[in-house]
Order: sequence, then C-alpha cells, then structure tokens
Amino acid sequence: MKNGQSLPLEYRTEQNQMNILGFWIFLGAEIMLFATLFASYFTLFDRTGSGPAGADIFEIVPVLIETILLLTSSFTIGLGIHAMRLGNKKAMIGFFVTTLILGLAFLGVEIYEFVHYYNVGATLQTSAFTAILLTTLGTHGAHVTFGLFWGLSIVLQVKKRGLTPETANKSFIFSLYWHFLDVVWIFIFSFIYLKGMM
Amino acid sequence: MKQLFPLKQVMGFVFSLVLTLVALLVYFLDMSFSAAMTVLLITAFVQAGVQLVVFMHAGETKEKGAIYSTVYYGVFIALITVFGTLLTMVWDM
Repeated sequence: MKNGQSLPLEYRTEQNQMNILGFWIFLGAEIMLFATLFASYFTLFDRTGSGPAGADIFEIVPVLIETILLLTSSFTIGLGIHAMRLGNKKAMIGFFVTTLILGLAFLGVEIYEFVHYYNVGATLQTSAFTAILLTTLGTHGAHVTFGLFWGLSIVLQVKKRGLTPETANKSFIFSLYWHFLDVVWIFIFSFIYLKGMM
Repeated sequence: MKQLFPLKQVMGFVFSLVLTLVALLVYFLDMSFSAAMTVLLITAFVQAGVQLVVFMHAGETKEKGAIYSTVYYGVFIALITVFGTLLTMVWDM
C-alpha cells in the first residue's frame, strides 16, 4: 500500500486522503460528544423522582433485536467496501442497500421503544433520568436517521456516476460513520441497557 | 461469490456476535456488580477495537499514526470526562 497506484480507489488523490483523515478527526470529536452524554447519564441515573427507573421500563427483546440489526449492518457495509475495492459496483450497491434496510429496521424498533416509554410514562419531562436517557438514545438515533439519508444519497450517486475516486471516497467515509454508530450502540447496549437491567 | 465474503471480516462479525453473547451473561446470570462491570467493560472495548481494526481499516495507510492519535486522544478525553464525572458526582470522592 506504499506507492500511489496500489492504494484503493478512495485514497487515490491527496484530497481524498485528507478527507478521510479529516473524518477521523470528526469521529474523535464525536467520541467526546457521546462521552459527555454518558457522563451525564451516569450522574442522573438514580435521579428518577416519581418516574420509573431503568429496570422498570427497559425490555430485553427489542434491545437485543436492535443490537443484532446494527451489528449486522456494520458487517454488511464492511462487505460493501470490500466489494467496492474489488471494483464490483453491483455487489457494493447491494451491500449498501442491505445496510440501509437494516438501519431502517433498527430505527423502526427504536421508535417502537420510544412509544413504549411514552406509554409507560417515561417522557422527556418525567425525571432527570428519563430526560438524559431519551437525550442519549435520541442523539444516537438522530445520527442513524441522518446516516440513512446520507447513505441513500451515496447509493444514488454511485449508481449514477459509477465508481470514481470521488464516489469511492464518499462511500468509504460513510462506512466509517456507520461503523462508528455501531461502536456507540455497543456502549449504549452495555452501559445503559444491560447495566440498567442487572 | 466467495471472494465477496473475506474471511477476516466474517470472523470479525462472528467474534462481535460472541462478544455480544458474553455481555448478555450479565443479564442472565446472577453476578456481583463489579464482576458484571468488568465483563461489560472488557466486551465493549474489545468490540470497539474489532470494529476499528477489522472494519474501519484504521491502520492501512501512511495516515495510520495521525488516525490512531486522534482516536486515542478522543478516547482519552472521553475516559477523563466519564470517570472524572463519576468521581466527583457519583462516588463522592
């Protein structure tokens, strides 16, 4: 991977390499953003007031479904980038579309979960605990929602323009974003849900 | 067809599913709080590492040093934020 020609398409130009590095720096900032949310969550965890606690409202089955969906989507987008590097545009688009469908299913389950919280009386205004819970989950969910639109635009662009250094670069950066969302979810799954249901 | 499913990524996926199952033990088994937290911390950080190296190709170009620096810096600040908050706000030290 040392000389320019053997680099994958998405790294071919200086600009592309800078774009990828710049996106990693953005992800570094995102790590810190979610850290502040987790710090606030741990602080407010037992400030439940007269509202429900985590153990009262968390349900293991939807959470497990969400985890499997997001883990699998992280795998399929990895395969999409692999197919892209083989120059297989059709397979790449297939994997990207699969990823987006899994992401959409994830979002569907999360919306179901939020409706459930609302129905059992855990809203943004109920207590400090429910406020930070919904803010943390919501920030992640908003990232996924944004990612769905972003990913869709990328698929359309690759379909229209084919695999060029530019579209390959955009696709690779999107894959970084998607994997990152999976990483954040792992921490939500472990330290919000599993810790809360113990 | 076979070349679309590289062994490294398939193994990474299987490994991340295994890590999820291990983390689930916390829910199904009756563990002490500190034992459970140890399990969760290990599975979560290993899982994040798998994503970073296997799926995000963090170390494949000459930008490797800069990429790892920014990630380590982000994680460092994240840990200080979280554990600093725990120290002052939750553990009352």
